[in-house]
Amino acid sequence: MGPVSLFIPCTVDFMMPRVGVATVRLLRRLGIEPRYHEQQTCCGQPAMNAGYLDRARKAAKHFIDVFGDDDVIVSPSGSCTAMVKYHYPELLGGEPSWRRRAEDLSERVFELSQYLVDVLGIEDGGGVFDGTVTYHESCQILRRLGVSRQPKALIEQTRGTTFVPMEQADTCCGFGGEFSYRYAFISEEMVRDKIGHYLDSGADLLVVSEPGCLLNIAGYLSRNNPEKRALHLVEFLAGPETDENT
Amino acid sequence: MKIDTGNFVRNAKLEMQNQYARTFLSLLPPYIAARRVKVMGSFPDPAAAQELSRAIRAEAVARMPDLLEEFEKNAIAAGARVLWARNAAEANEMILSIARERNVTMVTKGKSMISEETGLNDALAREGIEPFETDLGEFIAQQLGRPPFHIVGPAINVPVEEVCDLFMKKAGMQEETTDPVELGYAARLFLRDKFRRARLGITGVNMAVADTGAIINVENEGNIRFNKSSPRTQVSVMSPEKVVPTTTDALHLLRVLCRNCTGQSISAYVSIDRGPREPAEIDGPEELFIIIVDNGRSRLYHDPKLREALRCIRCGACLNLCPVYAKIGGYPYGWAYSGPMGQVLNPALLGLEETGDLFKACTLCGTCREVCPAGIDHPAIFLHYRALEVKRKRRSSGRWEAILFGVWGTAAAHSAVWRFLYRLARPVLAVFGKKGKIEAMPGPFAGWFGARDLPVPARRTFRDQWRESLSKQGGAS
Ligand code: SF4
Repeated sequence: MGPVSLFIPCTVDFMMPRVGVATVRLLRRLGIEPRYHEQQTCCGQPAMNAGYLDRARKAAKHFIDVFGDDDVIVSPSGSCTAMVKYHYPELLGGEPSWRRRAEDLSERVFELSQYLVDVLGIEDGGGVFDGTVTYHESCQILRRLGVSRQPKALIEQTRGTTFVPMEQADTCCGFGGEFSYRYAFISEEMVRDKIGHYLDSGADLLVVSEPGCLLNIAGYLSRNNPEKRALHLVEFLAGPETDENT
Repeated sequence: MKIDTGNFVRNAKLEMQNQYARTFLSLLPPYIAARRVKVMGSFPDPAAAQELSRAIRAEAVARMPDLLEEFEKNAIAAGARVLWARNAAEANEMILSIARERNVTMVTKGKSMISEETGLNDALAREGIEPFETDLGEFIAQQLGRPPFHIVGPAINVPVEEVCDLFMKKAGMQEETTDPVELGYAARLFLRDKFRRARLGITGVNMAVADTGAIINVENEGNIRFNKSSPRTQVSVMSPEKVVPTTTDALHLLRVLCRNCTGQSISAYVSIDRGPREPAEIDGPEELFIIIVDNGRSRLYHDPKLREALRCIRCGACLNLCPVYAKIGGYPYGWAYSGPMGQVLNPALLGLEETGDLFKACTLCGTCREVCPAGIDHPAIFLHYRALEVKRKRRSSGRWEAILFGVWGTAAAHSAVWRFLYRLARPVLAVFGKKGKIEAMPGPFAGWFGARDLPVPARRTFRDQWRESLSKQGGAS
């Protein structure tokens, strides 16, 4: 198997680069040297969800050109992974040669925890965290990719960590991209519930595997419960950075 | 029923202020989810049972025209009269003329969503014919002059004190009480009297079985069975997609329907009736009319993407578990169908112009898709509607969004442009930042900041960091 190629979503690239940095750090700790194509842009998810299919197709083709030959593509986002894995072949259905490339690519894209646990059989990321941790089951990761056991196994194997369950962990946090600001009055209520369940769980930390959900959840905490924290799974596994990176 | 889909946002905000409804709605999803999982567990293989019902629905819809003809033939052979209505107005007119010919001034009704869709009650009332809903919840909602709140609990949002007042005023209740059993008894006394006098009963249809011509109704109160057995004349109103090939298919759907609907393995009453009363039978109507109301279904049938919408069996699982529905309840969807089911059906049947919020007010979480026993991919249909709307709007106006996505598309295909635009945009966004976070911002994203902060977009993106240092640290291991 060739090197692991990093698929860093734009939310991470622009808003939370520390998640990308943590991904690199974690992979290296596990003995995996990643590569990163600097030409990558966006997978096209926002355009598709907003109904701009031709724009999404442009992004998809660019993605396929950039990542086309890589053996393994790994992303710290489940929704972006699902976009490439399941939506590309559909989106490019009208162009047979592109569709074939998309279908071919589909097999080689993985959400990070899925790759670690299912492909490499690694459940111990080598991290340390002293405290109780709970986990939010992001919609695309859970229902599109069917990934739920993997991130929890990684959390449970972390030294010093006790996993605690959270009520309605599998209920949407209310992000939904455009939904979050267009229907903010509903979205806010949903994220408020999510945080309520987090607080009730008594956990010291909430771990999330989806950058979009993390923006939503951490954004709410920052405003309303600044003493409580939420981290991306990969940040949690990689542990705190030694240098400052922003 | 009045169409109010265009006021989704206003109505949703209004509903969110109703504390009583909110409490109920917040308790519903976890309760239903647990109950549903438990009762689905009584299938030897729940996933297989679900797959089977999806296959049955897909096949039934694909064969719909033929199955309808077969159903008609067998229903007529059993003595029913089958009428075909192209739209709501025709359907209502058929029922009105049946009523007029029999000099009927009052009808009893069983719960029927298609009659909500056609606005039958209003049409009857306009002609001086008084309709009485006989499902307890529907009865309360009707007497209050409100549309049904929830598919299974049409009046579940009405506090018991209000029900008491209502029954004192309109249902002849003698003494005030908030005891549900007493209230139920009062409604029963009132409605029994209506049943005794009704000469025309109108009900909906859960399933129409093609190979026998039988009609199946599912309920928990027995009022539909009353409607189907007591009045001299009975009208069953159905939309064409209710038809299923065989009794075996129907029985499987029934098992899945009840489990998904109320978490019961079977409802308290299941009525399977074929034709009107036969000479040797002691009850049942003397004449039975079956009205099949198309009202847009043929168009959906011929649309390769939207045909799927016809698979719905109205179990309500999708709305019971929808996290958005759990916040706003059934009213904001603005028409006969609410929740994800309504977000699929209302735009399909009413057009996209006035239903835009229905397919946009969704996070695409996919819970509906996961639970749907009919195999409907709701999120995919919402994306389809969104794409259709963009196509339509693009031609007429250059909204900021279209321009934005135009530029975005070019940038996404050219990484240099992509990076360049970020360099331009970042300082503009960073203006609103304080101590690493943005707490407010004007413009289209303003809504985000009501209850949430956002990190300031990074000065050094991941890609910058990769170039400058990260890539060079590698190879050590
Ligand atoms: S769309 Fe909703 S109501 Fe219709 S069958 Fe599926 S889950 Fe049930």
